[in-house]
Amino acid sequence: MACWYKEADKVGDIIISSRVRLARNLSDLPFPRRMNDDMFIQLKARVKKAIDEIAATGDLKLKFIEMNAVPENEINAMVERHVISPDFARNYHDRAIAISDDESVSVMIGEEDHIRIQVIYGGMALDKAYELADCLDTALNEKLGFAYDNQLGFLTECPTNIGTGLRASVMLHLPVCESSGQIAAVSDAAGKIGLTVRGMYGEGSKAGASLYQISNQITLGISEENAISNLKVIAEQIVDREKAARASLDIKELEDAVFRAYGTLKYARLLNSEEFMKLISMIKLGINMGIIEKDTIRPIELLIIAQPGMLQKSFSVMSPRERDEARAEMVRNMI
Amino acid sequence: MLCQKCGKNNATTHIKTVINGKVTEQSLCGYCAAKQGYTGFSAGPISNILASMLGQTIQVSAGISSHSCGCCGATFADVAETGKVGCAECYREFGAELLPYLKRIHGGVRHTGKVPGTKQLVIKEETGSVSELKAKLASLVAAEKYEEAAVVRDEIKKMEGK
Repeated sequence: MACWYKEADKVGDIIISSRVRLARNLSDLPFPRRMNDDMFIQLKARVKKAIDEIAATGDLKLKFIEMNAVPENEINAMVERHVISPDFARNYHDRAIAISDDESVSVMIGEEDHIRIQVIYGGMALDKAYELADCLDTALNEKLGFAYDNQLGFLTECPTNIGTGLRASVMLHLPVCESSGQIAAVSDAAGKIGLTVRGMYGEGSKAGASLYQISNQITLGISEENAISNLKVIAEQIVDREKAARASLDIKELEDAVFRAYGTLKYARLLNSEEFMKLISMIKLGINMGIIEKDTIRPIELLIIAQPGMLQKSFSVMSPRERDEARAEMVRNMI
Repeated sequence: MLCQKCGKNNATTHIKTVINGKVTEQSLCGYCAAKQGYTGFSAGPISNILASMLGQTIQVSAGISSHSCGCCGATFADVAETGKVGCAECYREFGAELLPYLKRIHGGVRHTGKVPGTKQLVIKEETGSVSELKAKLASLVAAEKYEEAAVVRDEIKKMEGK
């Protein structure tokens, strides 16, 4: 399978991607915040052994990577591809990651918890993502023994994750809800059943390209199935709302805006990140509304590979101005 | 609405306090609110909010915070200050202090989800294209595995029917 952002251009419409994350800890080591260097070494060695044993049975092959061997540019690019969390990237030296070839499955080692299992797919695929995360969790637990309490469930460093340790999220493209000021209403509806709405790169970030992430917050007292089904119900409601808002648009005005965006992307010589995000969002809307043909542009893939870290990695350019130039050139070549 | 404290400026900050179940509400101007220590309402990460929630217990009941976790050595003061728990054992050690806050965060304090070891790792093969399946069917028939072949045949029918 292709990585999520390539898949998203094929299968994703308003729902761009689905992600599931499980927080787990070994029962016989303190949580990462209270671990010393030797404990980090021990943790990584034990997880690596477990990952290797699972790979040997042929079920799931993950590549083990020590983060201090990864160049800085690539670390930023990994955050932009949603492979690792911003928090994992900030303090990566002691940490490691085990990851599948297509990057859809990853195990972050030594983040806030000993282990963070992540599965990410393009489009609406929460059930499939959870199924795989669940299986990998079971296999790892057999080898590592996770901290678990009959009353409190899986024990985590931050009490906000205790219980299932599950954070499920979907990323939605909501340009028309955004421009018609409906995000607050969407956010309220989600809040009522314990879900939160955030900008594209998760906690504390501003939404760019009208991408929003909706995720569950409550992990204790709710089963994985119910948490995921709540998320699916709300996601569908938001999709309906976005569709209704799209239906009321003036088609001529929309066509004009979409083709202007197309023209700028096709001919611009300098594209800063903010302008690019707005334009590519318009292209994505244009494709979903049937104004631009689906295969001519892959907006989500472009969005990801034109992020600063990804550009820096591919072109080894440094200054913001050089990046804007490289971004414009890359976009021109891909349209 | 005017500030309930100074009665001069417009009230811009609405403060609701719940102490032992008793609710009191106040509407203050920015200046009076700041004077009472109500500043910086920017929503930080949830762990900070938690840290401040936990921190309150320490002030209320200083006695509880003196013992430490036998496993990792964390005191409840450490947990309250950071909003992070030291190790799995801390949940037992500081259970009495933590439970009310877990209830406040999650609404419940009883896990109803997965119990470890309830599923095996079996990665399902992705369903291939019709031509791949036809090849598979042919090889199954050749190997006289008719039951499996029937399943594949039905799968091909389903895919071609779409």
